[in-house]
Amino acid sequence: MKKRLLIWACGLGCLFGTSGLFAQDYNNASQLAQRLRAIASGSSSASLQSIAKTDGGKDIWMLTLGTGDLDNKPAMAIVGGVEGKHLLGVEMATRFAETLLSDNASALDNTTFYVFPNMSPDATEQYFASLKYERSGNARQTDDDRDGNLNEDPFDDLDGNGMITMMRVEDATGDWITHPADDRVMIKANKGKGEKGKYRIFTEGMDNDKDGAFNEDGEGGIHFRKNLAYGYPYFVPGSGEHSVSEKENRAMLDLLYTKWNVYGVFTFGPGNNLSSPWKYNRAGASKRVVTSVLNGDAKLNKFASDAYNAAVKMKNAPASGQQGGDFLQWAYFHFGRLSLGTPGWWVPTVKGDSTMTANKDKNAEVNFLRWAAQENIPNYFVDWKQMDHPDFPNQKVEVGGIAPFKMHNPPVAMVDDASKKNTDFIVDLAGMQADVKLMNLKSEEVGKGMTRITVDVYNAGTLPTHTEMGRRSRWLRPIRVELKLSSGQEVISGRRILTMNNLDGDGSRQFSWLVKGKGSVEIHAGAPHAGTDNATVNLK
Amino acid sequence: MKRYITNLFAGLILVGLTLPVTSFAQSSDEVFRAAGSPHNPKVNISFNRYYTSEGIAEITDKIAKAYPDLVRRVSIGKSYEGRDIWMLQVTNYKKGTADRKPAFYVDGNIHSNEIQGAEICLYTAWYLTENFGDVKYITEMLDDRIFYIVPTINPDARNNYMKEANTGSSPRSGMLPLDDDRDGLVDEDGLDDLDGDGSVTRMRRKSDYGSFIVDPLDPRKMIQIGPDDVVTAQRYEMLGSEGIDNDGDGRVNEDRPGVYDPNRDWAWKWQPDYIQRGALKYPFSAPENRAVADFVLSRPNIAGAQSFHNSGGMILRGPGAEEDLATYNRADLRIYDAIGRKGQKMLPGYRYLTVYKDLYSVFGGELDWFYGSRGVYTFTNEIFSSFAYYKDPNGGRNQGYDFDKELLANDAFTPWAPYDHPTYGEIEIGGFKKNFGRATPGFMLEEELHRNMAFALYHAHHMPKLSIDKVTEKDLGGGLKEITAIIKNDRMMPTHASQDLKYKIERPDFVSISGVDVQAGMIVQSIDLGLTTEQKHNPQKLILASIPGNSTVTLRWIVSGRGKYTITVDSAKGGVVTR
Repeated sequence: MKKRLLIWACGLGCLFGTSGLFAQDYNNASQLAQRLRAIASGSSSASLQSIAKTDGGKDIWMLTLGTGDLDNKPAMAIVGGVEGKHLLGVEMATRFAETLLSDNASALDNTTFYVFPNMSPDATEQYFASLKYERSGNARQTDDDRDGNLNEDPFDDLDGNGMITMMRVEDATGDWITHPADDRVMIKANKGKGEKGKYRIFTEGMDNDKDGAFNEDGEGGIHFRKNLAYGYPYFVPGSGEHSVSEKENRAMLDLLYTKWNVYGVFTFGPGNNLSSPWKYNRAGASKRVVTSVLNGDAKLNKFASDAYNAAVKMKNAPASGQQGGDFLQWAYFHFGRLSLGTPGWWVPTVKGDSTMTANKDKNAEVNFLRWAAQENIPNYFVDWKQMDHPDFPNQKVEVGGIAPFKMHNPPVAMVDDASKKNTDFIVDLAGMQADVKLMNLKSEEVGKGMTRITVDVYNAGTLPTHTEMGRRSRWLRPIRVELKLSSGQEVISGRRILTMNNLDGDGSRQFSWLVKGKGSVEIHAGAPHAGTDNATVNLK
Repeated sequence: MKRYITNLFAGLILVGLTLPVTSFAQSSDEVFRAAGSPHNPKVNISFNRYYTSEGIAEITDKIAKAYPDLVRRVSIGKSYEGRDIWMLQVTNYKKGTADRKPAFYVDGNIHSNEIQGAEICLYTAWYLTENFGDVKYITEMLDDRIFYIVPTINPDARNNYMKEANTGSSPRSGMLPLDDDRDGLVDEDGLDDLDGDGSVTRMRRKSDYGSFIVDPLDPRKMIQIGPDDVVTAQRYEMLGSEGIDNDGDGRVNEDRPGVYDPNRDWAWKWQPDYIQRGALKYPFSAPENRAVADFVLSRPNIAGAQSFHNSGGMILRGPGAEEDLATYNRADLRIYDAIGRKGQKMLPGYRYLTVYKDLYSVFGGELDWFYGSRGVYTFTNEIFSSFAYYKDPNGGRNQGYDFDKELLANDAFTPWAPYDHPTYGEIEIGGFKKNFGRATPGFMLEEELHRNMAFALYHAHHMPKLSIDKVTEKDLGGGLKEITAIIKNDRMMPTHASQDLKYKIERPDFVSISGVDVQAGMIVQSIDLGLTTEQKHNPQKLILASIPGNSTVTLRWIVSGRGKYTITVDSAKGGVVTR
């Protein structure tokens, strides 16, 4: 049946092209590859390249969307799958490419987009496996508990439903209780209010190696967004032995560092600085190892965030899931680019009615369960079911909980609107990118064969040419203003080549030179990520 | 002329290759042993000169071929320009399992102009192999330990330093091309050896407004004019290092080969270029460093490490960065201090110092990665200081002029000579050559190599040395027997540095017993008071977080059954011992 559906979808795709036609579920690696190939073959503005193969043998794909001299046009990187359990991010990035080509192709006149749909293809495959659990790690073998034994205590599907959920064990020594608004949801007892825990909580499985910890060393692997160098967490499961140790991380960085035209990075993942922008912290920003967004960039982020909220109209976003070693922060703090991220979609807040106990603490799981019921989401919860468990011989053990993936990956049919709004926002943002122009070019005769040339170098965009962080980076080129002379011409005053570390949006700076000689000279101004312009002046 | 010499040298090497290596040895009638040195080595190496990367490749090959039972020569990876990064793995291969012995890692030359480290490495491999069997300390060292020796981890730029236009302080970098002046062009305006003396020295120009004069007592030396000085002599202005504005951008020597710092490329607390100048894109962006890191990650038996730099006469430990102060904890510092202070004694003129407070506060250094990320006690020595000229701690740098004249026959200085410079016009070029100031002069080199090697060997000596010292039995009746074993570590280092224990970097040590039925197993805190901690699960394989240095751990099993049993200690950094 499934295979049939696929063939049918492919058939339609071949007939009508890919635009506007989406799959019925998230894509596994081969479906995604097929879909990306269709994008590339369906448009002369798209090309597809595999930049690495993971340890699990999966391709890391990059779609380049652009026209003309695309590596010298200001560019954005659009990144999905930074978190392996967030398949929505893969879908959002892929749809961005599809929708851009079908509905917004004119955006490519001024901007190139490098789309990396899935940075965690080893991990996302777990969604399609016979045993489903939320996986972030790649296929690298890791001794997660560092005890010298490999994968000796993985999850166990105790209830045999093909999913890993949770276990709760009734135990007075435990710290957990049920949520007052929905007793399927477990929360920590608030001892400050005199509450006493009644349960212990574990992931579904056994203590296979009898070391007292449950499921602490399964297949593991290294998380793409725990392996980058900003705020890298040392010696925690999933982070690896050192930062940027993994093929996919390295390949992507190696690639980005060759793309001097990239000014912005947009990430579909748990990190979210669009619903609420990063806050400037003076102490953190003035330390040698900077831990806060810089002041000017905080304002830039706020500007983007306001525009985003106005565009997508999605409220009550969950707290940003950014973490040490992640990509969203790396792209700003280490790469120096405008870095924006959003999950793209989240569970809307359900307004309870009088029949429901109020969700006073705005518990996200309670809200999810109410929303899922309201929307008739299939199989979103595994009801707690009592089981015999050899590790807890005389205790009541139940297995159940929210089904893996469901809370952050809605049925794909539900994300059309969110996808369109996010794509539109990115297109609007690109429309505001820096655009270096030469304006008000003047040449005056000074006498004795000398000409004074004056020009304003102007940023016609709304965004600055450089983030404040980017001005510090060796890996973002300054705005370069060059006077190109021919033989017999000489600069009498002014430097022939000048650089600027930034031009604000709508900002300008005037340059002038005194040139001796005849004929004409050319002026070039710009940088690959900020646009370039040139002009010819006739010497008087 | 120069080419002729290189060809001749290459020819000699070829001849050396075709002849059996032993043919280099003297007849034993002709020599008399000097204490502490191999007197009739199979491999003859001159230790009063330096070797190019090809020279190193050749010598390591000779040593490996002369001592097949003691040396494996492997390439751990390729440099940016495609050279092999050669490693000698030196141990007694006839005893034990080589890669399970406690290992000592040594490298040199990460900064390409800091060349002595390679020769220290060659000397160490040579000394170990030539003395094995003759000297007990060395023989035991190779029976019990393995040395991973990488003479140069920057072979491309080592050659660039030796063969191209450089000062004594350049290139320091590796050869990955970078756009230093961010003008979109790469490595387009490097240093120039204008006078063709093989070194980049200094440029000066006569100038009525200059702030220097020539020392009337020594025409090599420039003296800076003070604010109250009355000057009648010709004034000069200094114009920097030899070079021209190759790209016509109005700046001289501003975009050289490289430039980055390979010792800001290591993954412990790594920071990007805007925080830590010299950093590359991300940790281990330099392929040479990545090769080292990948090797080290594959060898959990490495317990001690040493890297060699120059100069200044220092034995350095981390932290490199002040922000990383907390990583170096007290228990580990006791071991660092003991080895470092011994080094001060073994290396006159050297001081035992801490990078962040005595040198500079930097992130991404090699020694911090070895310790912070791998839990390996690691030193960096800065070879050579001006102390060496006249063994005078207060002598200062100016002694170099006397030393050049009195002991080096004026070979270290290019006398000032006129030059017609395309931008500056009539100038003079002269100064100390690149092989002076940082690189140890030839006649002192062997001593420098030996003392630094001896320090590394002392460090290696104190890697864990485990034994099962005593095993006692007690009949408990009812077919039960109590077996108590004392595991001893004879040396200063524990099997797990406290940094290692803090993060469980390396797996624990395992002590297992086989041949009997184990009913219970426990770690004994006090034999006298009978205090023990039982390991409930899998008692035949007791898990020890660490075996402390100069100390013992007592273990006990309650067993049933008769017959012979075997106890095995299995430690990543302490090796495998069976009794």
